[in-house]
Amino acid sequence: MIKVRLFYHLIVLYLSLHLLWYLVRRKKIWSQAAAALVLTLFLLRLFLIK
Amino acid sequence: MKEIKGTPRSAALFLFLAGLLCVISGKSFVSMHRPEPIFPGPGLSELKSLSDYLPALKNSPGDTEVYIFLGKEKGGNLLVLGGTHPNEPAGLVTAVLLIETIRAERGNVFIIPRANASGFTHSDPQEGNPQRFSVATPAGPRLFRLGSRLTNPVDQWPDPAIYINPAGQKLSGNEARNLNRCYPGHADGHLTERIAFGIMELIRKERLDIAIDLHESAPEYPVINAIVFHENSAELAALAVLELQDEGLEIRLEASPAGLRGLSHREWGDHTGIKALLLETPNASHGRLKGRPSSSLIVDGRDKFYARAARLGWLFVAYGDEGIPLSHRVARHLAALGALLRSLAELEPDKAIEVERMPPPAEVQQKGLGAFLHPPN
Repeated sequence: MIKVRLFYHLIVLYLSLHLLWYLVRRKKIWSQAAAALVLTLFLLRLFLIK
Repeated sequence: MKEIKGTPRSAALFLFLAGLLCVISGKSFVSMHRPEPIFPGPGLSELKSLSDYLPALKNSPGDTEVYIFLGKEKGGNLLVLGGTHPNEPAGLVTAVLLIETIRAERGNVFIIPRANASGFTHSDPQEGNPQRFSVATPAGPRLFRLGSRLTNPVDQWPDPAIYINPAGQKLSGNEARNLNRCYPGHADGHLTERIAFGIMELIRKERLDIAIDLHESAPEYPVINAIVFHENSAELAALAVLELQDEGLEIRLEASPAGLRGLSHREWGDHTGIKALLLETPNASHGRLKGRPSSSLIVDGRDKFYARAARLGWLFVAYGDEGIPLSHRVARHLAALGALLRSLAELEPDKAIEVERMPPPAEVQQKGLGAFLHPPN
């Protein structure tokens, strides 16, 4: 269970960092807003808040 | 239309907003982990935890309270289980109502109001269900959580592709988190199996005679307004149904299928020999035909789509424009429980269980739940 959870955390962290990178690099404001919205869900997942 | 350019400053602003949204929504999610208060009446003798029966549950999200009412005279031992499925609110509310009102005169009564405590900490995804529902009392609204049918995946994850439960039944993977598919449980299994095993240990160690699992089902589901019984309690259930029908309460008898394994009414009876029963009441907020889910749909039970479905003959229960309120569903559970106890006293007088101050079902229907529940503070 602990190993599986760690693996899950790593996957979500990897995707969250990608989203963060996407948010910073986009030149369109609505793309930034969309990335921030999706990032919110990933952050909740990252901290296992459900 | 002119495109608005994104800048590092706007990215920082959106990042801040995402963080803020996380904090606000996170607080709301975390609030589901705080159990609603229960105010036991003067009849309570002892408060234990399920981990007292299975220490492996200690400090785990599966541990839950066991309220014990010891009778003055010797008699049988009864277990009432609410909250096996936390999205079936009549089970929880009936158990709470009993804890806050009853006194055991003969025999002992054990009540677990939140059998799957972890299931109360989250709600079913994509259902749009409210986190709580509100029952009006003279001193203000009393809030109860509406949880999920399944254990929180944060507490038990991942689901297997196919779940083979401790009784050997093959089920879909997410049923591994359904308490009423995990009996007789496993001492060192996953969390839901451990909860099931803890309840089995309670049944064995306290030498229970009869156990009743309180549920609700959708009005389009055939097993509704029913007493589901293990074959060793067939006579008891039949006698109780006769009494209820004599009082004008339509209720069906459903035999526990021998081939459907992992359910309370099957495994409790098979593994411990007790009289195992499960009660079902009709809940519109639980079904697929409902309109917008809301606290009032749960409590008032009024839904125009269900009323229409009833007119079209699609339901297994009478459902008018006035709906089926929570007070009526709780009253049904109380009426069935009362009839079962009276029938038990008739069939096995040495195992009789007498409970005083149980709210009369007709008065619960008439005055509402708020007249009997403890005020919110």
